Amino acid sequence: MSPVDTTEPDPSAIANIPKPPFVRLPHPSRMFATRAERFRTLAEGHDLKPYLLFLADLCAAQAAIQDGLPKLAPLDAAVLARAREHKMPPLDRGHFTADPAFEAPFSRLIAAAEQMTMPAVAQAALLRVKAADAAAREGMVQNVLAEAIPVEALAEHVFVAAALQVHFARLAERLPGREMESVGDGVCPSCGGAPASTLLVSWPPPAGARYCSCSLCGTMWNHLRSKCTLCGSTSKIAFQEIEGTGGTIKAETCEDCHGYMKMMNQQNDRFLDPIADDVATLGLDLLVRELGFRRGGINPFLIGY
Amino acid sequence: MNMELSRRSFMIGAGAGLAGTTIGALGFGEIEAAHALSIRPFKLAQTKEARSSCPYCAVCCGMMIFSAESKAEKGKMEVTHIEGDVDHPVNRGTLCPKGAGAIDYIRAKTRVKYPMYRKPGADKFERVSWDFAMDRIAKLMKDDRDANFVEKNRDGVTVNRWPTMAFLSGSSVTNETGWVTYKVSRGLGMLQIENQARI
Repeated sequence: MSPVDTTEPDPSAIANIPKPPFVRLPHPSRMFATRAERFRTLAEGHDLKPYLLFLADLCAAQAAIQDGLPKLAPLDAAVLARAREHKMPPLDRGHFTADPAFEAPFSRLIAAAEQMTMPAVAQAALLRVKAADAAAREGMVQNVLAEAIPVEALAEHVFVAAALQVHFARLAERLPGREMESVGDGVCPSCGGAPASTLLVSWPPPAGARYCSCSLCGTMWNHLRSKCTLCGSTSKIAFQEIEGTGGTIKAETCEDCHGYMKMMNQQNDRFLDPIADDVATLGLDLLVRELGFRRGGINPFLIGY
Repeated sequence: MNMELSRRSFMIGAGAGLAGTTIGALGFGEIEAAHALSIRPFKLAQTKEARSSCPYCAVCCGMMIFSAESKAEKGKMEVTHIEGDVDHPVNRGTLCPKGAGAIDYIRAKTRVKYPMYRKPGADKFERVSWDFAMDRIAKLMKDDRDANFVEKNRDGVTVNRWPTMAFLSGSSVTNETGWVTYKVSRGLGMLQIENQARI
């Protein structure tokens, strides 16, 4: 580009319309602290205030336990190359086991959670997680990674999922974001997870692009607007919003697969968080469900909807 | 892919009478139920987002056209907003002032929605059917072509020209439409074909 103090025409600046980066990797050091803050803000005057405050504490714990965690093993170049070659996510959740690297964030999170105030049933569930032997813990880890939570142990899995979020965010943070490619519609290019919700981001370039946010590792990846994240169809998309809310958070419904996914417009409110605002807009889920749509977003704090 | 309760476990859980959501399982079932009740009076409003390309010039910028339920006509959708399509490789969300003002073009009172005809000697336009319009245009074109068609030039070489007619086509058209435009107009012998391919 020519310097600004010349009057020479500069056609290169005209064509300089940036392409949105495909992947935005998570920053676990900031992500959980910001989310805790957001939960606290949302809790004010909300029907679900005690629950949102509980989650604020849990996210604050997710943020606090990261200081001084042992370093992760370096990335294996062969694994990355193989993943890229076969269009697979580089973090292989199918072969993940509760290895020693996961031990530290897990035990720290359980210890931090013990300091939180919570209802007696949640307390009891936390104690059961703490007391679980290696095999039981492994089972819970696999349930969360398989995105199939047994209904009789929902509370226990919340704590396991919270620990896994921290661990996977740390793993995903180190991936080579610029080289990563799509592994399929609605599938996280880092860990193969499903999105919790989608955001129309406020950060350029260019603002207004849509990103799915992974429910597990927090990676954000670009996804076409007005296209179902669940089945990839573009033909029968509509948006539902609660009347009078200004359309900041909408549910994108698809008549082809009868699923829906929330879409949050950060251009209206730049503090929107894909997990926290998802929980806080449970009302939207309740209303959209009555239209016969199935919730497509995965949120470990909102299972059962 | 969906985080669903596994079915087998759900049966066991239902037998034990446990709550089926995370919120309930963590002991917040009461506020969850209260929230579900308090949200009932609220209503949903439906909006749509459709992709289109800008009608003005041959750059063909992508547009997102937003619509909501019309307040004037119940049960109908109405365009509420137009912006550049961020996902479109040509313009990445940008629009020029003409494109950005396209909503006024849609809502304009003077917008022509039907074929209009002003009879020779009349002082105003009247609405006519498409059949009438097509027949009338075809008839006038045929008359003009019969009168002015040049089959051979002065040297006796076959040229098949129709120099008194020109063809103005759209700018934001696909290759297929462009092909048809060319075949129709050249086939008739027209020499001036214009596609308004500029801003």
